[in-house]
Amino acid sequence: MSNVANQSAKSSDSGDEVLQWVTFKLQDETYGINVMQVQEVLRYTEIAPVPGSPDYVMGIINLRGNVVTVIDTRTRFGLDGAEVTDNSRIVIIEADKQVIGILVDSVAEVVYLKASEIDTAPNVGNDESAKFIQGVTNRDGELLILVDLNKLLTDEEWDEISAL
Amino acid sequence: MSDRYNSQKVMQHYLSALLTDDEVQPSIVRQEPEVKQKLESLLARVTTTKVAAEPVPVVAKEPKPSVPPKLDSAELQQSVVSRKSQPGFTADNVSAEKAYRKGDFQALFFSVAGLTVALPLKELGGIHKLTAVNTMPGKPAWFKGVMLQREQKINVVDTGLWVMPEKFDRQQAESHQYQYVIMLSNTAWGLACDKLINTVTLSQDEVKWRENSGKRPWLAGLIKQHMCALLDVDALINLLKQGQSSNEH
Repeated sequence: MSNVANQSAKSSDSGDEVLQWVTFKLQDETYGINVMQVQEVLRYTEIAPVPGSPDYVMGIINLRGNVVTVIDTRTRFGLDGAEVTDNSRIVIIEADKQVIGILVDSVAEVVYLKASEIDTAPNVGNDESAKFIQGVTNRDGELLILVDLNKLLTDEEWDEISAL
Repeated sequence: MSDRYNSQKVMQHYLSALLTDDEVQPSIVRQEPEVKQKLESLLARVTTTKVAAEPVPVVAKEPKPSVPPKLDSAELQQSVVSRKSQPGFTADNVSAEKAYRKGDFQALFFSVAGLTVALPLKELGGIHKLTAVNTMPGKPAWFKGVMLQREQKINVVDTGLWVMPEKFDRQQAESHQYQYVIMLSNTAWGLACDKLINTVTLSQDEVKWRENSGKRPWLAGLIKQHMCALLDVDALINLLKQGQSSNEH
């Protein structure tokens, strides 16, 4: 697997910059998102459905007077739905110049990764959800799947979200 | 008993499909009952004929000329697992002339959902016990996931789904318990399998080689005596890298 440091890190002379990732759980897997894109992590709060919205949109929440769209991350990742638990969190992120929330099973920790530790994921699958896997890394014997939040939705879908 | 019957049935269907491929001569197509009879007689030999293979040097076992050289799975694993895969390898660099296309060569036989498959031992990257596999979103059904093996990340292929998607559906795949991962050459790709059968030394004549890659470039040929598929590992790697399954080209 080739290194994807250039895609995930700001350029540095050594090319081995240390990056911080917020990790979260979805079903049995652990995913990581760039800490720079995370604004805050909220406990689950009631999400108001939006009639006629796409299936990957759970609804909206009111975040200190601002309306934030929440994405159904499980649906987006092609996973089965699950009950909300005490561990469920809404991670508020900024991607594609928009602020949205993603519902996850739980938030685990913030980890430090060297860019050189990140490998590309196997480039198979035409599914949309295959495209936002930025890379993978072995973290203490557990696979951490790194997500490129900017590719979580297509350009059209980002436009659709902003028009909600 | 029924499992065995089902396995044989799957194998028979599969081999039948391979043998009646686009390579089949028109005259043979016209003599279908004769072909079927011949196939049945060959299949009958698979279960009854003893493998007259030379003992394999990799496996330090006593030669048993009239019995297939049985191989202890753990022993085989130990003997080959040290050949660690190199991440930078690309199958494209491999010479078109395969090393095993000259003289005798050894092949590893393994089984997947009742189907016996072989690959040239020279193209075996290693064998690992299948442990926890991490599934990844958006990947094809045949992509079982990524297995961590020390520092290595192995792309595990659900071989049943890849080789015979028409007979091995997704539901079967989910309940199927694979045991080993057979590494393809020096890549990060590995085929999940149920059982390691043995290694056998084969001569060139013992294989019905496919002269043009045609519909199934991943198939190097058919081993006549055992009536099983011999994999073209380089072609298989290329297909996997492109995300193609066995019937997608």
